[in-house]
Amino acid sequence: MENLGIETQYGANAFLPGEMVEGTVSWQLDLPAETVELRLLWYTQGKGDQDIGVVSTVPFANPGLADRRAFRVRIPEGPYSFSGKLISLLWALELVAEPGSRASRLEITVSPTRQEILITPRPPVG
Amino acid sequence: MLARDNPFAVQRVLEIRYRLSGLTWEELLERLAALRFRAALVGPHGHGKTTLLEDLGNRLAAQGFRVRAVTLHEGDRRLDAAGRRAFFHGLAASDVLLLDGAEQLARLAWMEVRARTRAAGGLVITCHRPGLLPTLYECRTTPELLAGIVRDLGEEPPPKDLLARHGGNVRNALREMYDTCADRPALRSLASPQPLPE
Repeated sequence: MENLGIETQYGANAFLPGEMVEGTVSWQLDLPAETVELRLLWYTQGKGDQDIGVVSTVPFANPGLADRRAFRVRIPEGPYSFSGKLISLLWALELVAEPGSRASRLEITVSPTRQEILITPRPPVG
Repeated sequence: MLARDNPFAVQRVLEIRYRLSGLTWEELLERLAALRFRAALVGPHGHGKTTLLEDLGNRLAAQGFRVRAVTLHEGDRRLDAAGRRAFFHGLAASDVLLLDGAEQLARLAWMEVRARTRAAGGLVITCHRPGLLPTLYECRTTPELLAGIVRDLGEEPPPKDLLARHGGNVRNALREMYDTCADRPALRSLASPQPLPE
């Protein structure tokens, strides 16, 4: 059975804009991978079409069938993690092995408070 | 309920694949071969034509065909440059062309597509009405189909009249379900943030 994993240092899952994320990735594959890379990305989810932004990728050279590597990736200044009724913007670290699009994802939060920003409807005036 | 938790978020709905009714995938592919791989998936808006076309493309690719797909949107009366490259350049018998929204094309543009894609191994289109190519499959929707989709998304069955209120348009019915869920109180928050130690 194939297994891909992402661990951040101290198990952190909430980061400030501009902060450095450090951690390790590991994988155990049944079939060899030509490439294994870690992606830092944001994506939207909700009522409308999805937008995705891949902010940075960390390739791991000469991936073995079973391997463990360290990574460092810097969080950009934005966008922040937020959620409302119509749309959420989510951040994730994603480890992808190709071919086969074998992947694992770790959701993270990016904001100045390290909390997801909640968008609430403005109460009616008067 | 927040968008990320809404079971009817577009990304979750798109994971639901087309459910054929009255025939199997093998029978559909046999029918397509009998039509020399030139055929149409027919149905009104929101009846699953695009999803079926995508699934058909995946099955044809698995059979060894090289699939080239073009999607037309409201008002696209002719293929754009990328579409023309995909459909008119270097065609071989191993190519199957998928054209989503063929009814958008002007008559002359459609005639050009038909004439210039003869070298391809196949041309499968979606359109709202029959007539452009022989009909391979007519996409229909039923309250049972909608209920099955809603069940697969982990929700209670929808109101019985929901599909009828949307004229059979499953996409719009699911949008209404999204709004209904969005008005519910938030169920949960993201996992407690675990910041890096200072």
